[in-house]
Amino acid sequence: MLNAQNIKVQIGKKDILHGVSITAKPGEVTAIVGHNGSGKTTLMRALTGDVSYTGTVTLNGRDLQTLSPEDQAEIRGVLPQASALSFPFQVIEVVEIGLRQANGTGTTARHALAQVGLSGYENRLYQELSGGEQQRVHLARVMAQVSAPIVDDAPRWLFLDEPVSALDIAHQLQVMDLARSFARSGGGVLAIMHDLNLTAFYADHMVLLSKGDLLAKGTPAEVMQDDILSQAYGCQLSVGVAPPPGTPFLLPQMAGI
Amino acid sequence: MNMLTRRGFALMALAAFALPAQADTTQKVLSIGSDVTEIVYALGAGDRLIARDTTSRFPEAANALPDVGYMRRLSPEGVLSVDPELILASEGSGPLETIEVLQAADIDYVTLGRGYAPAEVAAKIRKIGDALDLSEAAETLASTTETALNDQLNAAENFDGARKKVMFILSIRDGKITVSGAGTNADAMIKLAGGENALTDFQGYKTLSDEAASTAAPDVILMMNSTGSHGASAAEVFAMPSLAITPAAETLNLQKIDGIFINGSGPRTAGAAKQLHDAIYGN
Amino acid sequence: MAVTADIPNNVKSRASFARQLHILLGLGLLVTCLFSLTTGPTGVSLLEVLPKLLSRTPLSKLEQVVLFDIRLPRLALGIAIGAALAVSGAVMQGLFRNPLADPGIVGVSSGAGLGAILAIVLGGLLPASFLAIFGQYLVAVSAFLGGWLSTIILYKVATRSGRTSIATMLLAGIAMGALAGAVSGIMTYIATDDQLRDMTFWGMGSLAGANWTKVMAAFPIILACLGTSFCLGRGLNAIALGEATAGHIGIRVQRMKNIAILCVAGATGASVAVSGGIGFIGIVAPHLLRLMSGPDHRTLLINSALLGAILLILADTISRQIVAPAELPIGIITAVLGAPIFLWILLRQRSVVDL
Repeated sequence: MLNAQNIKVQIGKKDILHGVSITAKPGEVTAIVGHNGSGKTTLMRALTGDVSYTGTVTLNGRDLQTLSPEDQAEIRGVLPQASALSFPFQVIEVVEIGLRQANGTGTTARHALAQVGLSGYENRLYQELSGGEQQRVHLARVMAQVSAPIVDDAPRWLFLDEPVSALDIAHQLQVMDLARSFARSGGGVLAIMHDLNLTAFYADHMVLLSKGDLLAKGTPAEVMQDDILSQAYGCQLSVGVAPPPGTPFLLPQMAGI
Repeated sequence: MNMLTRRGFALMALAAFALPAQADTTQKVLSIGSDVTEIVYALGAGDRLIARDTTSRFPEAANALPDVGYMRRLSPEGVLSVDPELILASEGSGPLETIEVLQAADIDYVTLGRGYAPAEVAAKIRKIGDALDLSEAAETLASTTETALNDQLNAAENFDGARKKVMFILSIRDGKITVSGAGTNADAMIKLAGGENALTDFQGYKTLSDEAASTAAPDVILMMNSTGSHGASAAEVFAMPSLAITPAAETLNLQKIDGIFINGSGPRTAGAAKQLHDAIYGN
Repeated sequence: MAVTADIPNNVKSRASFARQLHILLGLGLLVTCLFSLTTGPTGVSLLEVLPKLLSRTPLSKLEQVVLFDIRLPRLALGIAIGAALAVSGAVMQGLFRNPLADPGIVGVSSGAGLGAILAIVLGGLLPASFLAIFGQYLVAVSAFLGGWLSTIILYKVATRSGRTSIATMLLAGIAMGALAGAVSGIMTYIATDDQLRDMTFWGMGSLAGANWTKVMAAFPIILACLGTSFCLGRGLNAIALGEATAGHIGIRVQRMKNIAILCVAGATGASVAVSGGIGFIGIVAPHLLRLMSGPDHRTLLINSALLGAILLILADTISRQIVAPAELPIGIITAVLGAPIFLWILLRQRSVVDL
């Protein structure tokens, strides 16, 4: 269980988050959505310990402040929006950077690469891959870092910061499938998302931020209402219902229609 | 052959032919310092030299010897490789680490002072003579050298013309000039030539500001007779703003002297001073 | 994916080659050491001396001095300094995330040299009781502090929000060099002739002054810094992903950076203190190794130490042989060999150094 209560973040003199409380359950994909500058990334950075905050965060029942960097790294992996990598590392070497104790045979790393569909890429140079492939390498690195969705009855967590922004539709689906299957196997996934339709399709739980405040949370069906979304993004939006699974979907509306 | 048996042969030779110490001409000698090398040759022991340092370029024959490098940057193994039995080194040869190794190797190592007073120069010659077993020849050379230097010194002191202020420029680099203050060989040479050092308020060599160079108002500029930054033509030297307004520039009085006389004093120093005197005062 | 699926998974990885390089370079170092002990203008050869040593025949004085007082301390110092410079280079490159960072180029060596110069000239002003105890270490300690301070200043100036700007770094290096030059310029006005002579030594590196005292002074510092550096491999790998990601992986980034900077300053400072400024080893050795076996710092650091030692010993052997019986300063040789490689890196990796 990830539990963040009354999180406030101030950067410089600017209040970015004014007391946001969210929870995420293992076994579920929890999506954080909101307009640009709503505080999604800041919230994520508070949860990864990268910015100082007031309020309390507990991860698997333990206060984040009491967890050492090593402990945190064992419990949760963080996939950044974009990664710059200096030096020409090979794909398998990048994945192994995430491992506390690299095993000589590289089985863990190979397994993770296979999961993201990059078998055979082990000895390719990272810099020579496409942006989508690079993103999947990092996903493999993060998954290898936490090793499995559940270890010793405790869930492991993936924190994903816009994991599919750089990907084409096929790879978006592939990465989101991976995230969902990680959750279905008992792990927890917290993802910042931009694409609301993809969110509606994959997320079990949604958190909607607006201007540093929590505007709504619940299932996609609960959160994705015309009035809520229109208020959150400051434009006229209308939500429909997709045919078979009954998930909501969004169509942009011309002003005045 | 060790030192003792060599001495023994020398004594035998002395007894047999009753000649002045024609000692042990097979002794292998390394000379460091231009003045030292010059004195070794003057004593007739040039054939014993097996190597020299970079500054030793007189007499001509010295140039044919292997060069062990600059006297302050001697390489221990380089020096050992020429296999010297005796090292005659001017004071300040180094670095210290090299000298320590050479002493550890049990090589006779004689340090010679750099003093330029006549008595000090004579003592240096005698010390070299002793080390080469040529004490008698050294005594002769020492006394003539001392007399010549004293004579020249007296002549310089008693010189009754208007004394000219001489500025010795060691080097000109990027428009900065490095000059001699008091307490240097250059200062001694200027005095010996009957001039007055234009800059005596500091010791050693210093880089001078442009204005200080002008204020010193030298009548004569003295430089070393070599290439590179040490040597420059009169046109170049007096084109520098700091020197253009000096009295020396008006008469274009730039004198050159062989660098060997600035490195150290020896048998030819008195003669060189006389020549310099004549050049300065235009006799 | 179908296209690449037929590449077998057991393609021999660079990692195992890098581990084999430990052994290969170790053997190479051994051979280089023997070569260096055997080569020199005096012609004293280890091959002739070794049988004597084994049969306990007393050595001639010359053989004894050349081997034990000249070549051996020089070799020991060469190994330590070559390793120190190469590892410092690799650590700095990892820390700054740039293959051109090098203590010599970005001003750490100038800072260390400046510390040394200040100690030489101003050391006499310290209380006599202090000098009596610390006098002989003053120059080395001061070089270390100079290197440490300049590394920290450099890092602070060149790094903004976790990203180190190569342009700022090089400019800061130029400023550091200029400052060192200016202060030593001021010192030349205060220094006596003897001190001046000591000072020129710092500009042009050389192992010619090697003796056991210097080996004893430099070895413990360099050994400690190298040992600590070897533990930084995983952290430096993680830093390659950016400091934030390194933190997410569980690296205590700030602590690691502090340790790395101390190691670089210690190893570089101690090297500069005993041998003056020797350039380019810190760039050339890690770069060649990255080409051969990749950038993984867990193996790169150890291999750098070995290759750096080999390169410096070779350069030193050349330096004492090429103009014998005189000697060429080793800094000239490493620059002649290293500068073209530096330019080559610039040409090949323009994107990396795009200012």
